[in-house]
Amino acid sequence: MSNRLTRPETLTALGIVVVAAGFLVPAAALRPISALLPVAMLIGLIVLSVVLLISDQRKAAAGEAAQPMTKSPKRVFGAFALIVAYALAADFIGFYVSTVVAVPLTAFLFGFRNPLGLALATVIVVGAIWLIFDFGMSQDFPAGRLWAA
Amino acid sequence: MYSDLLSALPEVIGFSNFAAVIIGVIAGIVVGAMPGLSATMAISVLVPFTFGLEPLVALGLMAGIYNGAMYGGAIPAVLLRIPGTPAAVATTFDGYPMAQKGEGGFALQVAVVSSAIGGIASAFALMLLAPPLSKVTLLFGPSEVFWVAVFGLASIIFLLGGNPVKGLISACFGVFVSVIGADPIYGTDRFTFGQLEMLDGISIVILLVGLYALPPVIDLLETPLKTDGVESSKLGTEPIWKAMPRMKGFWKTWLRSSVIGIWIGILPGAGGSMAAFMSYNEARRSSKNPEKWGEGEPEGVAASETANNADTASALIPALTLGIPGTAVAAVMLGGLLVHGLQPGPMLFRENPDVVFGFMWQFLFGAILLILLGGSLATNSFARLLNLPRPLLGSVIIVLMLIGVYSIHGRMFDVYLMLGFGAVGWVMDKLKFPLPPVVLGLILGGFAEENLRLALRIGRGDWGVLFQNTTSLILVALTVAVIVGPIVKRRILDRRKQAES
Repeated sequence: MSNRLTRPETLTALGIVVVAAGFLVPAAALRPISALLPVAMLIGLIVLSVVLLISDQRKAAAGEAAQPMTKSPKRVFGAFALIVAYALAADFIGFYVSTVVAVPLTAFLFGFRNPLGLALATVIVVGAIWLIFDFGMSQDFPAGRLWAA
Repeated sequence: MYSDLLSALPEVIGFSNFAAVIIGVIAGIVVGAMPGLSATMAISVLVPFTFGLEPLVALGLMAGIYNGAMYGGAIPAVLLRIPGTPAAVATTFDGYPMAQKGEGGFALQVAVVSSAIGGIASAFALMLLAPPLSKVTLLFGPSEVFWVAVFGLASIIFLLGGNPVKGLISACFGVFVSVIGADPIYGTDRFTFGQLEMLDGISIVILLVGLYALPPVIDLLETPLKTDGVESSKLGTEPIWKAMPRMKGFWKTWLRSSVIGIWIGILPGAGGSMAAFMSYNEARRSSKNPEKWGEGEPEGVAASETANNADTASALIPALTLGIPGTAVAAVMLGGLLVHGLQPGPMLFRENPDVVFGFMWQFLFGAILLILLGGSLATNSFARLLNLPRPLLGSVIIVLMLIGVYSIHGRMFDVYLMLGFGAVGWVMDKLKFPLPPVVLGLILGGFAEENLRLALRIGRGDWGVLFQNTTSLILVALTVAVIVGPIVKRRILDRRKQAES
């Protein structure tokens, strides 16, 4: 039974139902005309997800195995974690410092280990960003909340 | 009126004005090719810098960027399955499979030639049809515009084939995202949960980068390092004049897609994405082998790229004549006109004919220059993008994503939102939920809602107002045909198969 409920499509359908139902609560406080389209979409999401859920459970009952979402869960999780960590670092420490670390670190951890290539790529990427956006377009980047405080 | 058009030509081919178009096209291709950076963003950034420039120099830069970016978006769409601009989403359907088959070079050549053809057709439309067509646009009331949006959404859900339930879920999600923010009429908050950053709604660039850039980056990092990048020879790159004969059969698609792109461009609010999707859909319907579409059909790239460039200048027809921008880029361009004291509207043609007609010539030259600048850049430089080591390419794209999204409003909130959409996009990608309906839902959702509510206000709450004129009824019939057509066709095919077996 638990295997049937942990199928990716089933979990996704259940997740959509829960989130869409959750959004119906604030929608109830809106004027009827303002709530028309969002409520229609949320109810549509719930109904369609139930259809998806039933269809997936039928497949499970027929013995059809669910396809795994990834072959390398650790690499996927690592990639997501690195991207989130880079965004947080840019926000709190500053864009340039984080980028100088993130570009070679990501490439190194995921298999590109040529030191010269890493150094060259970092210099080119960071230099081009500074030249085009900072110097050329006067684009401001996050300076780091930690230093601003 | 048309004598003014010829009078404006000598000034446009002057050194500074022509150089502005060249620089604009190159900058546009580069910006369009960078995922997360759009023509809208580039022109927005550019507008403050144009204060000190002559109006035609400033407008030439904008026209060049717009043309270049619409083509540039095809480069990562073909090589990496990351549309550089929203309008290049449909280019990924066949462009990326072509690159995987070693025909990335040809896909880019088809894209650049088609973009130029679409751009040239659009510029001619702007030159010749602006005054009379503006009257036709005036006939479209809110109910017709609402049905155009519904037709656009219906066509994309059923265009992609696959599981229609998943397509509908994707579309509902996109439309729901479009309603987040302040209510367009009453101004009350909807689903912002007190976040001021969400009051203006969710920018399409945030959603687009999250949905279309993050999952491929995760894929780049997920797969262990392989240096199987495509060499120029494996891409099938050859001089553009040699590739042209292989495109001979595309003339019908170029013609049809140009008409669709120009038409969609004229309709306020629709834009290049819708033009590209509709054009792709229609080209596939007309194809003798529609089952091969999505597996690397060059005509699919031609359909999408012709339409999204055919939408560029034509989007300015309502913008220049009536002050109603057809697309987000056209809206930003209106801002650029205002910076130079040029008030869009019928009087613009009378008071500043040299500028307004010069601007139209710049669109034409920008489109022609695409073949010269885009062709060589695409085949000789950007085609090498796949040779970069995958982890390095992934890390560079992550940085570009952050810059692109942060640049929109200069805040990290958007970056976090993009990461959230990225996670959703990754799950959707893995479970084979189609992503284009989400994007189109976001583009058309708010647009449809606004016009529906306006129509209901005009009709004093009577829903019958949506079916009261012939144009609306034709659009309803087209929408029903798009939904019912594939179902009927499938049933007929099933019955034939049953009869044969």
